[in-house]
Amino acid sequence: MRYTRVHTDVHEYDVFARKTRVEPLHQVGSVVAPDDDLAMAYARATYDEERWVEMMIVPKAAIIPLWAPGGDN
Amino acid sequence: MRYAEWCIAAPTLEADIAAAAMGLDDIGHSRVLYGSLRELGTPDGTVDDAASYANVPYLDRPWTEWAEFVAANAVLDNAFTLMIEALANGNVETLRSRLKKMLQEERYHTLHGRSWMREVEAGAAIGRAWRESVEWIGPENGDVDELHRSGQLAHGVRDLRRLLEERLDASAPQPAIEWGSWEPIRRRTQAGGIDQATLDMLQGLAEKRYMPASG
Repeated sequence: MRYTRVHTDVHEYDVFARKTRVEPLHQVGSVVAPDDDLAMAYARATYDEERWVEMMIVPKAAIIPLWAPGGDN
Repeated sequence: MRYAEWCIAAPTLEADIAAAAMGLDDIGHSRVLYGSLRELGTPDGTVDDAASYANVPYLDRPWTEWAEFVAANAVLDNAFTLMIEALANGNVETLRSRLKKMLQEERYHTLHGRSWMREVEAGAAIGRAWRESVEWIGPENGDVDELHRSGQLAHGVRDLRRLLEERLDASAPQPAIEWGSWEPIRRRTQAGGIDQATLDMLQGLAEKRYMPASG
């Protein structure tokens, strides 16, 4: 999904994190930013409530959905 | 504190949150730096009036434009970070061990500032912030170069200026700096100091107005 807000062209990123090495990464939220740099800064500032051992962001556009609620199947 | 003033005034909600987070980071960094100074035997200084605060002029007054925030975040914050990096890679063990986490956090300030620098027209503010960064780093063959020669700082003045350009992927404006009026303690050429309202807040005077009268 693409937005037009303060920035002329922004992208949505999903934020994934985990607290320990043994647990899998899970989605903790999302951020909207014009580029990867700002998306990293926003993700770290917004979802800094836990002592995560790992955090990563993924551009939503890179995710390939198989099915979803409200879809045909 | 100037970052924190923008936590409900930035152009996007995400930038509001980032301003608050970076403000908190920098308060934490100040505490680590003051703690390190104490550990290294520097006595606490006295801060009575605006002129006794060793801040760059850029922080004297609240910023009225987002472009000023962006320039401070991109240029001044990076200049401070490069100096911290030079200390963390120098030969003072206390600083080598205590400043690393600070640098990890500052990485996100750099990403934020640099990206916003591409987004907004901040030319005049960038020029001012860059000039004050050069003044804050100090003159060639001064104290910074001396500390570099003795190994306490990993970089000298020329390195720091060059690294700032590299970090921002931009060329520094070439202002003529009047080093004759440079104050070595406050590391600035411009007289003046922090505004009274901020000074009252820093010294806890603003807070006292809200306390019930005693007796």
